[in-house]
Amino acid sequence: MVLTLFDKVGSTVLQAMDTAGDFAVLAGRTFAAIFKRPFDGANLMRQFQAVGVNSIPVVVLTSLAVSMVFAVQLAFGFRQFQAEGLASQVEGLAVVRELAPVITGLMLSGRIGSAMAAELGTMQVTEQIDALECLATDPIHYLFVPRLLASAIMLPLLTAISIAVGYWGGYLILVGVEGQSAYVFAGEFYKLLAFRDVRIALTKALVFGMIIALVGCWKGYRTQGGAEGVGNAPTSSVVTSSLWILIADFFLTKLLLV
Amino acid sequence: MAVIDVVNLSKAFGPKVVLSNVNLQVEEGESLVVLGGSGTGKTVLLRNIMGLLTPDAGHVAVEGKIIAQLSRQELFQVRQSIGMCFQMAALFDSMTVFENVAFGLRRHLEIHEDEVRARVEECLSMVGMKGTEHLKPAELSGGMKRRVGFARAIALKPKILLFDEPTTGLDPVMTDVIGRVILDLKHELGVTTITITHDLKSAFEIADRIALLFRGECIACQAPADFKVNPNPVVQQFLRGDADGPFLQDPPPPKRKPKEAHA
Repeated sequence: MVLTLFDKVGSTVLQAMDTAGDFAVLAGRTFAAIFKRPFDGANLMRQFQAVGVNSIPVVVLTSLAVSMVFAVQLAFGFRQFQAEGLASQVEGLAVVRELAPVITGLMLSGRIGSAMAAELGTMQVTEQIDALECLATDPIHYLFVPRLLASAIMLPLLTAISIAVGYWGGYLILVGVEGQSAYVFAGEFYKLLAFRDVRIALTKALVFGMIIALVGCWKGYRTQGGAEGVGNAPTSSVVTSSLWILIADFFLTKLLLV
Repeated sequence: MAVIDVVNLSKAFGPKVVLSNVNLQVEEGESLVVLGGSGTGKTVLLRNIMGLLTPDAGHVAVEGKIIAQLSRQELFQVRQSIGMCFQMAALFDSMTVFENVAFGLRRHLEIHEDEVRARVEECLSMVGMKGTEHLKPAELSGGMKRRVGFARAIALKPKILLFDEPTTGLDPVMTDVIGRVILDLKHELGVTTITITHDLKSAFEIADRIALLFRGECIACQAPADFKVNPNPVVQQFLRGDADGPFLQDPPPPKRKPKEAHA
């Protein structure tokens, strides 16, 4: 009974270490392959389109919704002790430091991380990745690197869009509904912020972008078992990358705010 | 020196031994056909030659270079001289036929786009697929996909061509077409080929030598005429396509006598 328990715990720990090691090796190979030739500009542009341009509507809509809901909550909360003026300051702080990078990261993990896992998973089970190998092409260089670069570059840009949209979401509620002065809102929104906060937001977005691309590609690349495996890869990718985005957010916040 | 030298090759997946001490030599310009039942390690043999799998014991040497000992860069150089045709073609489904065939040319040769276009057209016409450049793999039939796969494999003018069950799942007419395309490629390009197939008709047409894998071992490797008269009961059972004999591990279901016609 006890031995079986130890056996199970031991094998689970070994399996977890094996998985972590596999991810670390593939991530290392991806970073090492960034500067290898040939440089495939067209492939990179396609990824910029898929990751960045095509994600703008979903980022705009979710950022608008979240910032508006947050503004409603702040206005209600601060009204309890007659401090409505603080709502726009806290809105600014929350949108820039947390909501914009985290919401963008989580939405893109669902939109592009899952797409990467599904695409590479299908390529794996239909031998297209083996075909790449046979055509003397490193799948890490051809498939992982453009996705990593596109995600690492586009996530900060999308986060910047999310911050801009967050400003207008707060404006709609606090100025349009709650009746605050537009001039005051414009000043108060940035009052508690410094350039460092924007830098923190963009740094977080960069890390989230790398997590999304690496996890999505890794889950797809390791897909096994036909249709069932291809079906599981995107789900697993979204769950894993979302979890790591939240964990990384905590550590990055602690680290970068010091 | 043999172009492809398989020496004491063994490969197992967990407890299942797929290849056991397989020895095969393929000379330059020779066409070897590998026969064998399902799950006897034919595809595993090709994947070891391509370096997609690492042998548990023994080795595969291509033009004197031991595949498992090469660095990744050296392996990619060797792979540029080998064209691999997959069982289900493995075409890149996000690309058109043209982009599939041009893939290797664009990645490995610094040539002008006009030359790429000319080479792609040449390869597609060699496999009878001219005029399909703009189509996506999803718009092609099984036989057409295989032929585009052949065109992609020959685009870089390889010295060796490997065909993994090129006729499986095709109708008899298309099987014959594929057999003819392989023969044409063999004669026009003068390449060394290894073909895995279950189709005995095209096997005897294509082969300079035929090998039979049985339970992970190579039990025969000889010229087609000699293979036909090989006294080994496994070889004879395979040639007859009969369920009764030593070929199957589990005994087959008993043969039913055909019912007499009702009066």
